[in-house]
Amino acid sequence: MNADSSSPAKQPSPTAENGQPDIVLECQQVSHWFGDNKVLNNVNLRIARGQIVALVGPSGSGKSTLLRAILGTHPPKSGQVVMDGAPYRKPHRDRGIVYQRYSLFPFLTAEENVAFGPMLDQTSIPFRVFQFPKWRAQRADQLRQAGELLDQVGLGHAKRKYPSELSGGMCQRVAIAQALIMRPKLLLLDEPFGALDESTRESLQLMLLHLYQENIDARAKHQPEPHTILIVTHELNEALYVSDRILGLSQYHQGGSEGATIVYDKPAPIFQPHEERDHVRFNQQKEMLLKSVFSDEFIQHHSEFVSFWSEVASERQQLSH
Amino acid sequence: MIRQPISGSWRAGLGLASILLVMLLYTALASSRQRTARREQQEVAQTRLSELEEQRVDLQRDLETARAETDQTSRERGVEQAESGLQRNAEETEKFEALRDQPTKVDRTVPSWSMLLQDGLIRACTPQGAFERKEIWLVEDFKATGLRLLTSLLVGILCSVVIGLLMGCLDPVDAFLMPPFTFFSKVPATAVLPIFFVVIQINFSMYVAIIVFGMLPSLAQAISASVRKDVPEELIFKAYTLGASQFELIADVIFKKVLPRILDAARLQIGPALVLLVAAEWMVAGEGIGYRLRLFYQRTDMTVVFVYVFLLGVIGLVVDYALIWARRKLCPWFGE
Ligand SMILES: Nc1ncnc2c1ncn2[C@@H]1O[C@H](COP(=O)(O)OP(=O)(O)OP(=O)(O)O)[C@@H](O)[C@H]1O
Ligand SMILES: [Mg+2]
Repeated sequence: MNADSSSPAKQPSPTAENGQPDIVLECQQVSHWFGDNKVLNNVNLRIARGQIVALVGPSGSGKSTLLRAILGTHPPKSGQVVMDGAPYRKPHRDRGIVYQRYSLFPFLTAEENVAFGPMLDQTSIPFRVFQFPKWRAQRADQLRQAGELLDQVGLGHAKRKYPSELSGGMCQRVAIAQALIMRPKLLLLDEPFGALDESTRESLQLMLLHLYQENIDARAKHQPEPHTILIVTHELNEALYVSDRILGLSQYHQGGSEGATIVYDKPAPIFQPHEERDHVRFNQQKEMLLKSVFSDEFIQHHSEFVSFWSEVASERQQLSH
Repeated sequence: MIRQPISGSWRAGLGLASILLVMLLYTALASSRQRTARREQQEVAQTRLSELEEQRVDLQRDLETARAETDQTSRERGVEQAESGLQRNAEETEKFEALRDQPTKVDRTVPSWSMLLQDGLIRACTPQGAFERKEIWLVEDFKATGLRLLTSLLVGILCSVVIGLLMGCLDPVDAFLMPPFTFFSKVPATAVLPIFFVVIQINFSMYVAIIVFGMLPSLAQAISASVRKDVPEELIFKAYTLGASQFELIADVIFKKVLPRILDAARLQIGPALVLLVAAEWMVAGEGIGYRLRLFYQRTDMTVVFVYVFLLGVIGLVVDYALIWARRKLCPWFGE
């Protein structure tokens, strides 16, 4: 099931230095409903620092609802979401989001969009008004940082352009840079590439792989991984390609009439940015996903596909022996 | 043909043609009006002349009967009377013949171009008045009205922006202000003028109050609707995840997003505000454009009126373009 284990650098390692998983986010018995429409049913979920998790599921299963609950804009009606040990019910600068649309502020240039977070986060309106000279110096610094980040995502030439002048793919790159500059503890992406054509999509997936590579590099230097990402997508190939862990959210489980829950949770194959995209490697897991998440074949036994943490644990045992 | 674009020169040509046509029509109207006025004068003179002719014949007869009188004293008195009558008749006839042959009447209801220039523009631009302190009407009037308009636009737009943003962002404010605003935006502001005249006396702040009353309900509602419609919730959530405070959300996100709408909505309010102001001035002012229009209306003298109307149109156009330009400068992201 898991990808090749030939290269140790490619091994998913959701563990901190002490061997215990460093859990960033935890959903505890999260349920949500809209009137009679029961959407989420007792979702339990832990995400460790450095993971790139793909969330898949049938349309309308509640992926966006779960994401909004985790973001904090729409807290769950029952259960709670916890970040670094603290429950919360509000959005916060520690949790970034990229939506499919409307992620950018249309009245700001690409550069200003990216620098917008630091501005809001580090300064207040009174400071910007009453200490204008200081603010200008700080602003120049923020814009420079934003520019550097845009260079990194390959948009150095479009810094001064407004979102309406950018293509859909460029907009999403800017939106990701805008979220990354905040160094969020968790970055949420809700079908970020859903409206893009195939080749643009692939180049953006590559960008996510580069982020994962940064995680691996940090891990090698025994530093905390910089990026923890939860990405919702309806494209299974994409999910398998960019993530190191796949979650299936679906109503196809025993309590399905009460709403969807996590019915699939397994490691995903890991690719390096320069590697050939080998779809054959996907096929086995894709079939499994289709059966367990998108059809009702395994309603009785869905729990056997929720095995991520036990697989991690047994792997760790093997390593220590 | 339908929705088929035409070339730039065609467009300019047609535009020029319509302007020329309007000027031509005005010229025709003015000259026909002047001609009618002359003809009326000729007719009046002609009628009087025929009356005088009848009178002369009568007087002639009187003279002859007087000469035939036997009594000397009564003969002399009769002849003298008739002769002086004939002389007066001749003088008057001469005057009316001159009027008939060269009518001098000027009509100021549809003035000719030269009258517009002489009695309108030049009169309005040169110091006028019987007293020591002479004033230039154009300057005085446009200054008075302009000051009233600018002040009230400033106050009105500022209040509308603050209230509109609050209504759009905070449901309680919306619930509280919606009923009166919906009602007052339907009341024609001109109908409320007498109430203002009486309640706030006639002074500068009254004009400001009238215009603010006229624009605030609809402008605030337009802004609040734009806040609700044009700011996707994603942007608001996004701003929160970037660490925005409530106030920053309003000032740095929502305000900036709806700014082009505010500018457009405010631009559309300038016309109605001017209508209201000129109407109020017409009724009660002692200076200003409306006041001058009333004075000349009472003399059926349209020379200055036409000049003022034309200038108002020009100013309206200039202000309109200035605001469109401001929107392009302030919101380059908004497009056309
Ligand atoms: N604001 C809302 N009010 C009422 N019902 C809602 C609301 N938002 C979502 N729902 C319902 O909740 C269910 C889950 O919606 P959600 O958007 O989370 O699904 P999803 O998995 O993201 O679907 P998709 O893949 O199409 O994006 C749907 O049945 C939807 O109709
Ligand atoms: Mg969705």
